[in-house]
Amino acid sequence: MQTAIRRPVRPTISHWLAPLVWLLLLLGACWGMSWLEPLFRLAEPDSRDIIYDRADFIVLLGRHLQVVGVAALLAIGIGVAAAIAVTRPAGRDFLPMVSQLASMGQTFPPVAVLALAVPVLGFGNLPVIVALLLYGLLPIVRNTLAGLESIDGGVAEAARGMGMTGGQRLWRVELPLAAPIILAGIRTSVTINIATAAIGSTVGASNLGDPIISGIVNGNIAYVLQGALLIGLLALSVDSLFARLQPGSPD
Amino acid sequence: MIELIQVSKRFGDALAVDDVSLSIERGELCVLIGTSGCGKSTTLRMINRLIEHSAGEIHLEGQPVREFREEVLRRRIGYAIQSTGLFPHWTVARNIGLVPGLLKWPRARIRERVEELMALLGLEVEEFADKYPSQLSGGQAQRVGVARALAADPDILLMDEPFGALDPITRESLQDELVRLQARLNKTIVFVTHDMDEALRLADRLVVMNHGRIIQQGHPLELLRRPADGFVESLLGGADRGLKEAALLPVSQRMTALDDAPLAEQRVSQQATLREALSIMLWRHADCLTVVDAADTPVGQLSLRQLVGAGDARAAAGRTDTDQAAG
Ligand SMILES: Nc1ncnc2c1ncn2[C@@H]1O[C@H](COP(=O)(O)OP(=O)(O)OP(=O)(O)O)[C@@H](O)[C@H]1O
Ligand SMILES: [Mg+2]
Repeated sequence: MQTAIRRPVRPTISHWLAPLVWLLLLLGACWGMSWLEPLFRLAEPDSRDIIYDRADFIVLLGRHLQVVGVAALLAIGIGVAAAIAVTRPAGRDFLPMVSQLASMGQTFPPVAVLALAVPVLGFGNLPVIVALLLYGLLPIVRNTLAGLESIDGGVAEAARGMGMTGGQRLWRVELPLAAPIILAGIRTSVTINIATAAIGSTVGASNLGDPIISGIVNGNIAYVLQGALLIGLLALSVDSLFARLQPGSPD
Repeated sequence: MIELIQVSKRFGDALAVDDVSLSIERGELCVLIGTSGCGKSTTLRMINRLIEHSAGEIHLEGQPVREFREEVLRRRIGYAIQSTGLFPHWTVARNIGLVPGLLKWPRARIRERVEELMALLGLEVEEFADKYPSQLSGGQAQRVGVARALAADPDILLMDEPFGALDPITRESLQDELVRLQARLNKTIVFVTHDMDEALRLADRLVVMNHGRIIQQGHPLELLRRPADGFVESLLGGADRGLKEAALLPVSQRMTALDDAPLAEQRVSQQATLREALSIMLWRHADCLTVVDAADTPVGQLSLRQLVGAGDARAAAGRTDTDQAAG
């Protein structure tokens, strides 16, 4: 008898264990940071203020997620749509241009984008979203292109030969088959933007970057460590969540 | 039914198909054969417009293929390819039901049709319907590919090396199935292959191509007996042509009535080919066989002299033999 595995594999609770643990640690750190005061005192023995208290960590976390989430949704929408457009017969000519633009987006440092965007868009979340969007576009565009082009030639030919329209091929064949690779691109994009979003605090967008920037300005290492800890835990939570969504990934 | 009139296809400067004219009747099984890169696949794919022809006209039941909407045309024509092109994320049943689904058949009818086809191609419904292509053997996958091509009951079937990359036994059984299906369903089939034995077995009309042109076309026996040039002759097997011809002729054609002499010990079915009869003679060191019908009743006899058609000088004289002509 064949013991072949049927897809899709039904996820069990243990599949979700890793993201759950990271998420609980993150929330625990947000609410119970003061419990770690003795630890942070080691880094900053002479200071009076050890735990950052100018805003609730949970509020900062919410704002952080909001900025990264909006930027990610925009990057996914624009990135996936652009990659689809340039792999259609009508858009083929633009393929080199689009992949070039996307890679330029990533070589351009987000700090520079912020500096350029603030005079135009003012202070706050808007310039941060623009910077994150540009920075996060490349992995999504690149992976969507790779996913769409990875489709087996025979499958593509059969889809056409059976009489599927362009739209039917895209929705029923190309996107489902490219989905794991596209998802991997989104994962990379979101994870790096969770870290990158911290620079938003320099232009008045309040988020988990606040303790870090304030720590740097006031020379308080403990603040920096608290911000870094929370951002790290957030990145790990989101990353392991994506790992679960992606079929066939071992971690 | 399918008519190609002076059709050419250019890829840049290269002429892949050069002034091809071909007319395929309803119910005919037409096999395109030739060396690699001679334009067989291109010719096939111009019929369902996966490739647009650069010159000439292609008609389907008298109507130019360009007048159809691409999708409508392709849903009317079954298409099976060597790599199968089964959708890896769909089950066998869903893959087979693809075209009926596109044609918006009701669900129940699609299911019924899928089960009918799986039975027709010897695929256990219970066992295979819910499997994914990656769980199939090569032969099973090719059966599914053929079933998918047949799903919407198209009058025309285009098959591009559909049994390539299979072991000889599976290949032969699928060829037999195709011949059986063809006898039952009476489709018009255009079939591309590299394998001359497969071509001779299947073809009502054999089309030999080289460098994008048709060199010769006709019934396999016609080509065997009168190859147009050395290329056709060598493609058809050169010195093996005698055996290839014998493989196309039934024993019943050369046997003679029983006489008073005692029956020869070795038997051969009257449905067997002359080639099979010859093989029995060689193997058994016998120069005469008793021909029997399906019920194993003797109906005639076949001697080696009769088998080789000795004395039929008229038939032999009509044959061309470019080797001798040249020499
Ligand atoms: N899309 C294409 N673009 C450019 N050239 C092509 C294209 N498709 C086919 N050709 C060329 O056209 C010629 C005929 O190709 P075709 O695929 O029809 O050959 P074939 O007879 O099917 O060969 P094989 O037996 O190897 O499958 C080849 O020289 C090939 O390189
Ligand atoms: Mg070919």
